[in-house]
Amino acid sequence: MMNDGGNRIENRVDGLFNKFCINIVDGKKQYLFDEEGRRYLDAFGGIATVCCGHCHPDVVSAVVKQMNRIQHSTVLYLNHAIADFAEALASKMPGDLKVVFFTNSGTEANELALMMARLYTGCQDIISIRNGYHGNAAGTMGATAQSIWKFNVVQSGVHHTLNPDPYRGVFGSDGEKYAKDVQDLINFGTSGHVAGFISEAIQGVGGIIELAPGYLPAAYSTIKKAGGLCIADEVQSGFARTGSFWGFESHGVVPDIVTMAKGIGNGIPLGAVVTTPEIAEVLTRRSYFNTFGGNPVCTAAGLAVLNVIEKEKLQENAHVVGSYLKERLLSLKDKYELVGDVRGRGLMLGLELVTDRKLKTPAKTEIVHVMEQMKDMGVLVGKGGYYGNVFRITPPLCFTKEDADFLVDAMGYTLSKM
Amino acid sequence: MAFWGRILKRALQPARPSSDAAALCSSYSTNAPPQLPRFDHLPKPYKGPSADAVLEKRKKFLGPSLFYFYEKPLNIVEGKMQYLFDESGRRYLDAFAGIVTVSCGHCHPEVLDAIIEQSKLLQHATTIYLHHAIGDFAEALTSKLPGDLKVVYFVNSGSEANELATLMARMYTGNLEMISLRNAYHGGSSGTIGLTALNTWKYSIPQGEIHHVMNPDPYRGPFGSDAKAYARDVQDHIDFGTSGKVAGFIAETIQGVGGAVELAPGYLKLVYDIVRKAGGVCIADEVQTGFGRTGGHYWGFETQGVIPDIVTMAKGIGNGLPLGAVVTTPEIASVMAQKIQFNTYGGNPVCSAGGHAVLRVIDKEKRQAHCADIGSHLISRLKELQQKYDIIGDVRGRGLMLGVELVTDRKEKTPAKAETLHLFEKLKDLGVLIGKGGYDGNVFRIKPPMCFSKDDADFLVDALDYSMSKL
Repeated sequence: MMNDGGNRIENRVDGLFNKFCINIVDGKKQYLFDEEGRRYLDAFGGIATVCCGHCHPDVVSAVVKQMNRIQHSTVLYLNHAIADFAEALASKMPGDLKVVFFTNSGTEANELALMMARLYTGCQDIISIRNGYHGNAAGTMGATAQSIWKFNVVQSGVHHTLNPDPYRGVFGSDGEKYAKDVQDLINFGTSGHVAGFISEAIQGVGGIIELAPGYLPAAYSTIKKAGGLCIADEVQSGFARTGSFWGFESHGVVPDIVTMAKGIGNGIPLGAVVTTPEIAEVLTRRSYFNTFGGNPVCTAAGLAVLNVIEKEKLQENAHVVGSYLKERLLSLKDKYELVGDVRGRGLMLGLELVTDRKLKTPAKTEIVHVMEQMKDMGVLVGKGGYYGNVFRITPPLCFTKEDADFLVDAMGYTLSKM
Repeated sequence: MAFWGRILKRALQPARPSSDAAALCSSYSTNAPPQLPRFDHLPKPYKGPSADAVLEKRKKFLGPSLFYFYEKPLNIVEGKMQYLFDESGRRYLDAFAGIVTVSCGHCHPEVLDAIIEQSKLLQHATTIYLHHAIGDFAEALTSKLPGDLKVVYFVNSGSEANELATLMARMYTGNLEMISLRNAYHGGSSGTIGLTALNTWKYSIPQGEIHHVMNPDPYRGPFGSDAKAYARDVQDHIDFGTSGKVAGFIAETIQGVGGAVELAPGYLKLVYDIVRKAGGVCIADEVQTGFGRTGGHYWGFETQGVIPDIVTMAKGIGNGLPLGAVVTTPEIASVMAQKIQFNTYGGNPVCSAGGHAVLRVIDKEKRQAHCADIGSHLISRLKELQQKYDIIGDVRGRGLMLGVELVTDRKEKTPAKAETLHLFEKLKDLGVLIGKGGYDGNVFRIKPPMCFSKDDADFLVDALDYSMSKL
């Protein structure tokens, strides 16, 4: 094990993997089942990925139907599935965002987005937000901004700006003040012109941190003035999870490039980049090809997901149940000192545990304990944040009020016993 | 009636190859075009959007950079084993397997079964929870690998696998420089685009500390098949272009995108030695050559008698499922524990179940031996064709990973680009979907699903013969 707070790394790895060993063999809607057939409430959604619900019949049948016809031939030949899905996806986008590239993951999508921004602008510098997570390949590892995810390899061309974190950030909720740091970085750290800016609307891995209000419009404006493109990483916040279809919508901005994965296929390996025809044109300078990307099965699943979200009004449900859940979690905060902060939107919620509300000392051991207890009671939640002390609640969007009550009651019960 | 019956039967059967090339000359030069081997499968009637409608939507929603094969691109709506069907129900021999990806065959029942059954149970929960499928698959996969190669990382593509392999090499050695071969293809993401060494695929972005060494190309390389001479270039790059220490070396054993170029015999042994002396690790990119495709061996690197430190795979691993993997030694894997490396979709139950089924099918149906068998038959027929047509500059490859390079001048080896394109179209018209590659786009890539039969092989060669005779 390396230094760099070796204990912390060990705790994090332990907390993520070792102490949480349940054998999950079955899934249905918002529930998972272990090898003994015991049912759990899945409040993590396979990391904000299963949006329609495990093994949703519409999605499964679309997959099975397409599998039986043709699984893979590549885009070198035509097939309607990719075209139909691209059209449907584009229809969910504002402005001129209508050209779609399919990949197999969020990392691949962000890699492509970063490359397009660099090619389009002719500049190299990318700005990302501290505490953000964008992937683990060469380019995206640079944009990712938490040391635990960054290996000791060369990661040039990225500048990490102050995190507009309303809870822990130096400027509280003053979005515009944080945005000034972006200008600072450009002025003093780059040639004055940048390739672009990438951010999540709500940081996922970073612990469900909502960007301070007013931040994104100010940052976008700064970036555009420096000739850069604005990339919205919607890998976790996209597909109705936050109660809006896209996370960036609640910030009142229109990005130049949008990346997505996770919820896009309810768990099938699929990612996408959506941008304008003008920006898309840069890829014609050379050839870019993704062998698996856009295959008929994954795109059929993606289209089924969009249909389910609409048919079952999952966006509205995320908003309604999410707001209700948030309120109930806030009541936990009123009751227990350990709960430092409750935040998020729709069904992308976070609950930060601290041992001291003033100092905001991360309650690292306590959270692991609560997580274990909740699991024993039948609730699976996620964990994140730089200190690993934030509960991440990102269930399948068919989560109900009853589920929300059960989650909060289980958490409350555990907290009461501490 | 019987007479016509016999004629029809003869016409439907591809000509039997003979040792006498002259006898072949008469086969398809002037007669009717060759016919597809029989196949007992009726495609479902297609009621979806037409080729034109799909193409229009693609142009509108998938960007100008999305290219396709053929003047009039094919609307492929169904697949079964080694055949594809277009919107009109017309059958084609798939000699390219969705770019060397459909290893068992389109919609192979056993693979489909595994995928569908698992999809109904659990598609995705991530590896933060346990699930048997990933462990079982990893175990089965590593049992196919020699030496100490027993730790698996599952990812979603070849690019992701090669990115991870490069990261491992750098972390393990503490060195920066990577070495790859000119004419190689390893991916399209930031790191792998640097390893890739064909300008068509390289965008103008910074691509790190990578050195591209001379390609040990027996056909076009300056040293022919002299592996020693090419290996010297690697030493040269290390001595003069790096600090003397490197992170690693990566190579395909038979270059895929680069045009089915086999590395000169003995090359990898020499280079692996040089690289290891410089502190580097050796990465074998088996994305195209893996899983028995080369016939004589399960893995391409085995044909060169080496054992790599890291092996990457994708494409055929899942018969088309978005799946990739990196296999390495426990020693190298241990450096990855310094930080957290996580892949959300990687190792999901469905892809693991599918991948595992693929391994079983390849073994059960003896696909590796089959590739050796059909491959050698195909090579010998192609070589006979080479004697007949000057335009065939080179026939190469192993098993069902073959290449046919077309040149307008055998001495100069001038790439026959236009002719290749023309024949490419003609083959499609005859019902053969072949692949294309090489730096000049003048190499036919023959890499079908591994259930390709002798009759398919004969049909392919006959179709080539027929089209070439009309040139």
